[in-house]
Amino acid sequence: MEFFRQTNIDFLKYKWWAIGASWALIALGIFTVFIQKGLKFGIDFSGGTAIAIRFTDKPDVDHLRKILDGAGLGEIGIQRYEDPSKHEVLIRVQQQAKEGRDVAGDVLRSLRAGLATPTDPSKIDLNAEGKGTLGARLTAADPDKVVGRSDVNPADYYTQAAERIIAQRSSLGLYRSPADVDAVEGVSAPVKTWIRANTYTGPFVLLSAENVGPQVGADLQKKALLAVIWSSIGMLAYVAFRFRSLPFGVGAVVAIVHDTLITVGLLALLGREFNLVVVAALLTLVGYSMNDTVVVYDRVRENQRTPKKEPLEAVINRSINQTLSRTILTSGATMLVVLALFFLGGEVLNTFALTLIIGIIVGTYSSIYVAAAIVVIWKDFKARRKLAVVPATAVKAAPAPPVKAEPIPQSPAPSQGSKKKNQKR
Amino acid sequence: MGKKLRWRVLVILLVVVGAVAGYIAVGYSHATKEWTGPGAPSFRDALRSAIKLGLDLRGGIHLVLQVNTADAIKAERDDAVETLKNQARDAGIGAIDLPSETSFSVAVTAQTDQSKLEDIVKRFLPDWNFSTGGGKWTFALKDPARRQMEDNAVSQAVETIRNRVDEFGVAEPLIAREGADRILVQLPGIDDPKRVKDLIKNTAFLELTLVEKGPSSEAALKSEFPGGVIPPQFRLVEAKAEPGAHERMFYVVRRQAVITGRDLKNARPTQAQFGNHSVTFFLTASGSQKFGEATGANIGKRLAIVLDNRVQSAPSIKDRITETGVIEGTFSPEEANDLALVLRAGALPAGLVYLEERTVGPSLGLDSIRKGITASVVGAVLVFIAMAVYYRRAGWNAIIALLLNALLLAAAMALFEATLTLPGIAGFILTIGMAVDSNVLVFERIREELRNGRAPRAAIENGFSKAFATIVDTHATTIISALFLLQFGTGPVKGFAVTLIIGLLISMFTAVFVSHTIFELEYGYRQHIDSVSI
Repeated sequence: MEFFRQTNIDFLKYKWWAIGASWALIALGIFTVFIQKGLKFGIDFSGGTAIAIRFTDKPDVDHLRKILDGAGLGEIGIQRYEDPSKHEVLIRVQQQAKEGRDVAGDVLRSLRAGLATPTDPSKIDLNAEGKGTLGARLTAADPDKVVGRSDVNPADYYTQAAERIIAQRSSLGLYRSPADVDAVEGVSAPVKTWIRANTYTGPFVLLSAENVGPQVGADLQKKALLAVIWSSIGMLAYVAFRFRSLPFGVGAVVAIVHDTLITVGLLALLGREFNLVVVAALLTLVGYSMNDTVVVYDRVRENQRTPKKEPLEAVINRSINQTLSRTILTSGATMLVVLALFFLGGEVLNTFALTLIIGIIVGTYSSIYVAAAIVVIWKDFKARRKLAVVPATAVKAAPAPPVKAEPIPQSPAPSQGSKKKNQKR
Repeated sequence: MGKKLRWRVLVILLVVVGAVAGYIAVGYSHATKEWTGPGAPSFRDALRSAIKLGLDLRGGIHLVLQVNTADAIKAERDDAVETLKNQARDAGIGAIDLPSETSFSVAVTAQTDQSKLEDIVKRFLPDWNFSTGGGKWTFALKDPARRQMEDNAVSQAVETIRNRVDEFGVAEPLIAREGADRILVQLPGIDDPKRVKDLIKNTAFLELTLVEKGPSSEAALKSEFPGGVIPPQFRLVEAKAEPGAHERMFYVVRRQAVITGRDLKNARPTQAQFGNHSVTFFLTASGSQKFGEATGANIGKRLAIVLDNRVQSAPSIKDRITETGVIEGTFSPEEANDLALVLRAGALPAGLVYLEERTVGPSLGLDSIRKGITASVVGAVLVFIAMAVYYRRAGWNAIIALLLNALLLAAAMALFEATLTLPGIAGFILTIGMAVDSNVLVFERIREELRNGRAPRAAIENGFSKAFATIVDTHATTIISALFLLQFGTGPVKGFAVTLIIGLLISMFTAVFVSHTIFELEYGYRQHIDSVSI
């Protein structure tokens, strides 16, 4: 099977249109960020607390808000997320003025106090306690009468039972009643009876809690920015070194900046939050876009080696056409895996995947219309400046300058220089 | 089969066998370490536990704590004040006044024997600078000493946290110092974050000190002293709230404790009457001596048991006590157990502040693994189908290379003890994308060569050699960005970078070396090749 067979599309004919489109997209992004008064940072960068909990029943968000408003934590946001049938809620708490308050702990304590009504304070919450506590309680109660037996260590024996019970909770999501423990394998009947009598199931289970203080938030912001800047510099250096040419290096880096700006703008437009995982995705797309650009550049370099004199624009066009099949196929294959991540990977990987979906499209486009186009425009500009000092007849001989780059072979000095360079490699 | 080809096949077989064996060996070693049940771990357990999972996948806590080093400095100042006071008394210097506990300055009057005082400072307080003026000596801790003390406080806090975590029993904890005053704590597999957080942060500063007055309200206690001011040798301490009580109660106790947590040898939870739990502690030899003297001299008085600046209980001294005591209170069994644990493990030298906390519950981790694996498998299968349809026979080469890539990546992760995180799974998937790219580059080149009328074998050779430079370039650029991610990234993002870097290195091997060898095996031994299925 083959999609493209020796295509001959004049990609660079449309370069000015493409540059206009790029600027429009970048402007749209900047406008969005401006309207939204800055990027929407996740708690990684802005600081604050995010707590995800899963309830046994459909949670009453207003009631939850009322409970938490009494905890003196400042602004609180509560949203249901993912599949509504799972009864999951994400609670966000604003950055606290003073460093170090255990906000997640305070939220959970208030919710437990406001929602849970244990009839007997000596009972323990099966949805909150871990294997340590459960195991210790079982050991103290000793329903299987193993204390005193020489062949069993009671603490180990009951911790193992507790471990099984908690593992079942993890795989179920949460316990709805102590009777759910009956289904756990490898736990004796007396233990299950004890569980029924001495535990209750609280209204929710903690999925995750994140709390980032102001100092760490600022640190992470700085680190993320440094990572983006340094990796761009690193790649500029690599490309400049590999291709021994400034316009190639500049083209590649402008393409990266272009991709990052557009992707960030579109993410802002789609209302996505910026966190560490998005920064990782941005760096990945930078790598990906660079990858695409390098493939085209490699081909240009190879095609320049042939003795046939050909205008640069034609060489680049030919190179893009030659690599087109590969470009589409690789982008398509990567897109398949990223789409799988987007639809099946869950909450955390969703924004990551979205960033890459945008990035793959923009990155593929930019390697043609930004990276390659800049090289052509740069050389055109250089050639025109050279021509300006050559007698007027030579200018007449050359066709309209802005698009075509034929003048280059006519001026002897640069072409000889590039020939020498080519032979060196 | 040519000699060169035989070598290549041998290398690939060795790598594959090594990877599989390494993976299983690491898996068994991990599984055995974690095994709690009877017998030995099964083969399935070994396969499952070869790769270390990050906190986001297996559940657990990531904490960044800041040590409040000012606490340690304050404690040092209190010690210095105490020393100075005792020495001045022994030297017979009169009229020395230590009025405030917040600023460390001494009023020096005309009668004060200044040269003797200077002598004491030089001998007993070598870490302090002093300046004189306005009839006062003001003391300041010397800079190197201060730095040393701050540094000690942090190291000591790390040590204390480690002791506590070890006693609590957490598999593979990570407790490390970060920068000047931060501590990173990572505890995988924790299923009750609340308890562990309390355990770590509990300063557990225990003091046993004589009660002067109380319990009563703050105002009532103050009014019993002249001018309503509590003299400096005493201090006001709040009592632990009794269940059902509304009023806050206070004690006035002696500032200088009889014994502190440092004098403890051991502590263990004990069951008291009415189902309440308490903690029994045992003293060291020197602690026993001090305690015996103090209790013997103060029979009939009350002794306050102060924990983290709260009076837990204040029993009266009925007899001389030497070795052991009981901290009574309304503890639950877990609280009693944890209090005994922190007392055994030692007090923190300074308070801790949580700068960052990331907790992942075990059920979310399980959910993430399921989703991550589903996405990976679906993504990989889609790519395989695309490759097989588009490149026919050659597509199968690519699929073998990709499968091998996944196998080697898993083995490398296990052998390097790299941690797989959720973003790491994304890195895994992206590696598949990059590996596909390498194959596509080669295959497209071969097709081009065939189109240009080259013979099949020459087309294959040229395809691989021409694509090689490009493959190196594309991998190098991506590795560069991943390296910076590794440098600046934290936690899960680091996991992503690690997976990506290892995956890309392996992809160079599989896409170039392995794929080429498969082509050679397929076409190499034939005399005439009429066509290449690509």
